[in-house]
Amino acid sequence: MTTRFFIRNTSIPGRRLAGWIGAACALFAAAPAFAEQRAGNIWGLAPCVTVHGEKIDALFMIIFWLTAVVFVLTQGTYIYFLIAYRKRPGHKAFYSHGSNKLEIIWTTAPTIVFLALAIYGNRLWEEIHRPAPSNSLVIDVSSYQFGWEMRYPGISGKLAPIDIKKISDTNHWGTDPDNPLTSQDVQATELVIPVGRPVHLLLHARDVIHSFYVPEFRMYQDCVPGRTIGWVWFQATRTGNFQIACNQLCGTGHYNMKAPVRVVTEEEFQKWLKPRQEKNAATPASSVPVATLTQP
Amino acid sequence: MSNAAFNDASLFHAPQEESHAHDSHHAPPTDPKICKLGMIVFLCSEALLFSGLISAYLVCRQAAGCWPPNLGDGIELPPMPKLLTGINTVILVASSFVYHFAEEAVKKGKSGAGWMLAAALMGATFVGVQCVEWTELYHEGLWFNKGGVYGSSFFTLTGFHGAHVCIGVLLILWCFYLQVTKRFFTAERHVALMNVGLYWHFVDVVWVFLYTILYLI
Amino acid sequence: MSATITADSHAAAHHGDHGHGHGKKGIMHYLWNTDHKVIAMQFLFTSILYVIIGGAMALAMRWQLAFPGHPIPVIGHLLPSTIVSDDGSLIPGGYNMLVTMHGTLLVFFVAMPILIGVFGNFLIPLKIGAGDMAFPTLNEISYWLFSISGVIMLASLFVPGGAPGTGWTAYAPLSSFAKYNGTPIGQTLWCVSLFINGLSSLTGAVNYITTVITMRSPGMSMFRMPLPVWAIFLTAILLILAIPVLSAAAALIIFDLNFGTTFYKPEGGGQPLLWQHLFWFFGHPEVYILILPAMGFASEILAVFSRKPVFGYKAMVYAMIVIGVLGFIVWGHHMYVSGMNLTLSAAFGVSTMVIAVPSAIKTFNWMGTIWRGNIHYTVPMAFAVAFVSMFVIGGLSGIFMAATPIDLFVHHTYFIVAHFHYVLFGGSIFSVFAAIYFWFPKMSGRMFNDTLGWIHFWMTFVFFNLTFFPMHNLGLSGMMRRIADPTVYDCLRQVQPLNVVCTIGAMGLGLSTLPFLANMFWSIFKGPKAPANPWNSTTLEWTVSHPIPHGNFVTTPTVHHGPYEYSVPGLEKDYLPQNEKAPAHVTLEAH
Ligand code: HEA
Ligand code: HEA
Ligand code: CUA
Ligand SMILES: [Cu+2]
Repeated sequence: MTTRFFIRNTSIPGRRLAGWIGAACALFAAAPAFAEQRAGNIWGLAPCVTVHGEKIDALFMIIFWLTAVVFVLTQGTYIYFLIAYRKRPGHKAFYSHGSNKLEIIWTTAPTIVFLALAIYGNRLWEEIHRPAPSNSLVIDVSSYQFGWEMRYPGISGKLAPIDIKKISDTNHWGTDPDNPLTSQDVQATELVIPVGRPVHLLLHARDVIHSFYVPEFRMYQDCVPGRTIGWVWFQATRTGNFQIACNQLCGTGHYNMKAPVRVVTEEEFQKWLKPRQEKNAATPASSVPVATLTQP
Repeated sequence: MSNAAFNDASLFHAPQEESHAHDSHHAPPTDPKICKLGMIVFLCSEALLFSGLISAYLVCRQAAGCWPPNLGDGIELPPMPKLLTGINTVILVASSFVYHFAEEAVKKGKSGAGWMLAAALMGATFVGVQCVEWTELYHEGLWFNKGGVYGSSFFTLTGFHGAHVCIGVLLILWCFYLQVTKRFFTAERHVALMNVGLYWHFVDVVWVFLYTILYLI
Repeated sequence: MSATITADSHAAAHHGDHGHGHGKKGIMHYLWNTDHKVIAMQFLFTSILYVIIGGAMALAMRWQLAFPGHPIPVIGHLLPSTIVSDDGSLIPGGYNMLVTMHGTLLVFFVAMPILIGVFGNFLIPLKIGAGDMAFPTLNEISYWLFSISGVIMLASLFVPGGAPGTGWTAYAPLSSFAKYNGTPIGQTLWCVSLFINGLSSLTGAVNYITTVITMRSPGMSMFRMPLPVWAIFLTAILLILAIPVLSAAAALIIFDLNFGTTFYKPEGGGQPLLWQHLFWFFGHPEVYILILPAMGFASEILAVFSRKPVFGYKAMVYAMIVIGVLGFIVWGHHMYVSGMNLTLSAAFGVSTMVIAVPSAIKTFNWMGTIWRGNIHYTVPMAFAVAFVSMFVIGGLSGIFMAATPIDLFVHHTYFIVAHFHYVLFGGSIFSVFAAIYFWFPKMSGRMFNDTLGWIHFWMTFVFFNLTFFPMHNLGLSGMMRRIADPTVYDCLRQVQPLNVVCTIGAMGLGLSTLPFLANMFWSIFKGPKAPANPWNSTTLEWTVSHPIPHGNFVTTPTVHHGPYEYSVPGLEKDYLPQNEKAPAHVTLEAH
């Protein structure tokens, strides 16, 4: 077969195909280069700053190499066939209706690969969604058209309890105004978190479905109105400034529904949180309206 | 698009001399089997339509915890009138048998129009009772936009089904009309009668499901 | 369903006197005609209209993404004021409307009608040796329902508030609450339109299933049916089972939006995720509805131009059946991170991985088909060949998302957009192009121009990859879907050049359709006459010559063997039509 391929002088389709392969390769190589500004990786992959994120990236690379090998092997063979078996004068195609042996092989092999991937992937999935460690910092996140609000525990270290059915335009969190904890909650429009400490998020939506998405955290979770999503937690590995993006179409302002995320050191975090907690602790409960923050 | 330009292209051409192509129907399309199969396939899709609605109902009900749900506004939601609708269910199911007698009669070469009328009337009775029930529930404070998802799902599901029953009644009346005026259905040919029957049985079966999940459990 | 019931009405049309359409002169011939071949053309030309509209919308979106806030050239001023501001630049709400309309139009009004409406109608009766569909009148009704639904869909652009801006997936409660979406009229029209469109699909599907089961010509056993027929038959079954669920869900949106029911509203005890479950229960089978016929066409075209029988014909059929069945239990992979139960997500992860197996089988069998073939490079073959490669790229990116933890990162990013354009455009549409180049000579009786065809192929191939490949990278860099202006995010400003690359590609892709349309219309009017069997194919549609009479076959063909007997040893010519008996000295291999 191979010799036949080499001794034949290239026909027009052959050249066309060669051109095609060339064009495709050039294209695939050139496109990511435009993302050069993102130093250090040709994927354009966002940097990764959480523990879970690193595991996700590792799985990503496994699948990447797996699919890359599959792609090169299948497409390589395919293109070889396309060139080697192009129309040749005086040749007749090989008459065959297939082979059951081959069918069995190429049914079982992918099945094994895919099941392995599914099992491996789901183990990581399960690991990511284990209950948050008990030392995590609990932050309540509320999304609305079109912005974000955060609620940190007050001086007592506990968030005021909420009743999801009470969430309204005037009571953004559904807290009970008579509960003394309510006035202690620290509210913010940015997400400030300490590096290295697990952070447990309680996700809420006030109107439609929004989503908490931070590419650098490798994390996406929809916030569903009428529910508290309580299984999201992560641990940042380095400091930096990022953005929460709402990644679930939620109306006209969706494209701009963002909030700053600051991953800071533990000391800086305490410096940010402590004064706010103390200030709230000093104010009597009844003087703090339930919804202290309005839309910026 | 001008006709002339297309004249010799088969799909664009204006009508031309017809070749005698019709023996290619080794199975003529009027074959009752074909029509029946078409109807059955259509009813499969109807079944999925109701499955969609029913699963919507079950999901909401499951999520509510208790049923009628506790919407937190202190309003007492009325229970479903099991008995009245139970009788109504019997009427509807019986109408399926009555319709079947109509078909049997036609198959034996008789008119069967009486049975048809009876089935249509029973269907109409069902719709009537259903309307009474709707008004009653309305006065008890349940409507499609009142009583939260309890009202929404009840009226939507029974509404969808009621519309199907109404269509069925009209179809049966139409068969009845054809039969009394033209003696349309014969022992050999009663395709439409058969298909309306399939539809009618289907609508009844759906109702048994609906009665079970909306009223009984 | 009146046509089903009054079977007599179409019998008249069908048998004796050509009551319907056939015999009318002038424009009525094209407006109301129960001949399946004419209906196929009605679908084709209507869909071409929508591809231009929906494609132009994509170009407007691409312009905005590359140059946010700059007035859109040419089409900017054509768009209604709900979409563009005075200077012709997109406003954010308008961008959402374009995304919605683009997705909806291309899926429901381009890909589905072309794959199923055009080729289902044209090929099924011709390929199985039937005179027409089982219910010709119903068939024409199906076309008109489709047309009406299209008008309603486009009308939503011009009603107060404008078109819906909730994406083609219309997630509740955004779509079901006027206060949140601001486009209650548009959203209602969207639902109504899809409801009617669904009826059109259902009436079509009833016809296809019935026709395939009952009207095959003598000798045409199920396992002698050409693969496109199998594919469309299975697709029709998927339609019957999937579409009604969307219709039900859309009806509930209409009620919530206009009549105060609370199916999707948590305040009244409703469930926002309910919509997603119902939508994706339909939506995932839907994507296989869009690929199965494409796979069928490609299988046949690869075989014809390799002059070889399809490798593993039965395996191909079984693979499609498995895809169809499994397609109904994987919908949750669109909802891994929607707030659905996490264990359920994991279960859907497994089923999604498993459903990739039949696609793998098909890919390997396509490779087997060209292996040791005698490959003739024609335009349809080029598109079919490219289809396989593009489908593999799109399928492999599907493997990433199928892995639950990876989806945690790439969900709703441009990685997804890249995936589904590779399978939808690189898959379905490439195959549609192949099919049009392949079967148009039979439809119109005229050949295409080869040079224009090759120009079209290369432009499409190059610009398609230029447009959509970089989207993988954009997605990995964190670019969200459905955002009107990526530059508001710090992490996306750095990758903005990639957006420009995509846009350049998209412009090229838009231009690439021009040689195609030019070719098509040139061919209809001026193209050289096509011989009855220009590609030396074996299937029955090539045994009739032009013009194909109403009723198709002068005498009912008898089928003697499977569909793809190419290069049978001991035979003079390298193909053996299905209606020709193999000579005594030739033995056909069982398949
Ligand atoms: C024609 C349409 C089509 C097809 C065929 C597919 C095929 C597949 N799709 Fe895709 N998909 C869409 C259309 C399609 N999809 C659309 C439109 C969306 C987005 C909807 C929206 O949100 O708007 C979507 C979204 C989507 C998601 C959700 C992503 C998200 O929103 O987060 C997922 C997740 O699992 C997914 C997975 C898959 C998989 C696993 C396949 C598999 O069937 C692919 C199988 C094929 C192969 C794998 C390639 C060939 C095989 C080999 C060469 C064998 C060897 C391979 C290995 C051993 C790896 N798709
Ligand atoms: C079969 C389906 C199909 C096809 C063929 C296409 C084709 C194209 N799509 Fe498609 N797309 C979808 C289905 C499809 N899309 C879906 C389902 C979505 C999701 C929607 C959602 O999120 O809800 C989507 C979303 C989507 C997005 C993401 C938007 C977002 O999330 O913000 C983008 C962005 O680039 C895009 C671009 C394109 C482009 C450039 C083409 C091009 O290939 C188009 C090229 C074709 C033409 C341009 C038409 C013909 C042109 C002419 C005849 C020339 C003359 C006209 C002029 C130049 C004015 N599409
Ligand atoms: Cu909130 Cu998008
Ligand atoms: Cu899917």
